[in-house]
Amino acid sequence: MPLNPSLVGRRYQEVSCPVTREHVERFAEAIGERSPIFRDADAARAAGYADQVAPPTFVTVMQIMASAQVVLDQELGLDYSRVVHGEQEYEWRRPVVVGDVLTATPQIAGISARGPNEFLVIESQVHDASGETVVVARSTLLSRGTART
Amino acid sequence: MTVRFQDVSVGEEIPSLSKVVQREEVQAYADASGDQNPLHQDDAFARSVGFPGIIAHGMFTLAHLTKALTDWLGDPSALLQLKVQFRAVVFMDETLVAKGRIDELDPATRQARLSVWAEVERAGERVLPIKNSTALVRLG
Repeated sequence: MPLNPSLVGRRYQEVSCPVTREHVERFAEAIGERSPIFRDADAARAAGYADQVAPPTFVTVMQIMASAQVVLDQELGLDYSRVVHGEQEYEWRRPVVVGDVLTATPQIAGISARGPNEFLVIESQVHDASGETVVVARSTLLSRGTART
Repeated sequence: MTVRFQDVSVGEEIPSLSKVVQREEVQAYADASGDQNPLHQDDAFARSVGFPGIIAHGMFTLAHLTKALTDWLGDPSALLQLKVQFRAVVFMDETLVAKGRIDELDPATRQARLSVWAEVERAGERVLPIKNSTALVRLG
């Protein structure tokens, strides 16, 4: 079953992530990040950051929350067992630090087909508590074998 | 401590970063990222969809590639953009190597565009889990 192309532009519920020290620690540990600015608030402040810095791909946490909503959208018709993560894009405006409260309103930015596969682009503009854009994340999910032939 | 614009040249590679992908780390990544897909945790499930065992998250591989960039830059705020394609899976106990090469330097903005990729060696072949990918960075 092909994806429903009329859903391009659809926005989903806001997702939110308070950036806690414990979460940044766990994330940094999982990816083997041991540089002091990612592990120690004092080292980060000494280097000019407001607090302990989250690794740049920490916003994955929000993409996972966003894609969970998209996958559950019955009107879209995405079969998650056919999905692989095809592409990922980030535009960072500033590093995320502990104490940030991040929010994003995920949106379907594109649906296209190439050969037997379809490509679903989910865009999340991630903002901080003051409304400034911190990072823009675009995930392209590849839906294998669902294109209309 | 940021890499200085005048100290680099087109064609130069950044220091590569390798690590052996361990099951415990992939499990920790599932918990830290919230991506609990069984493909990354359950060997029986992974075998049922045609893999010999669990595979690492694409974002796990990308996090390692990003670390190669921030290790080189010394400052995460110097990393401006990353655009990657996931082209192959990564299995447990494989050695994942993240690499990058400077393709363009813009003196007006002191920015550099790099080709970036990730490699593993599998059965004597070089496999690229991330390829055709670029990064934009700001140099000092």
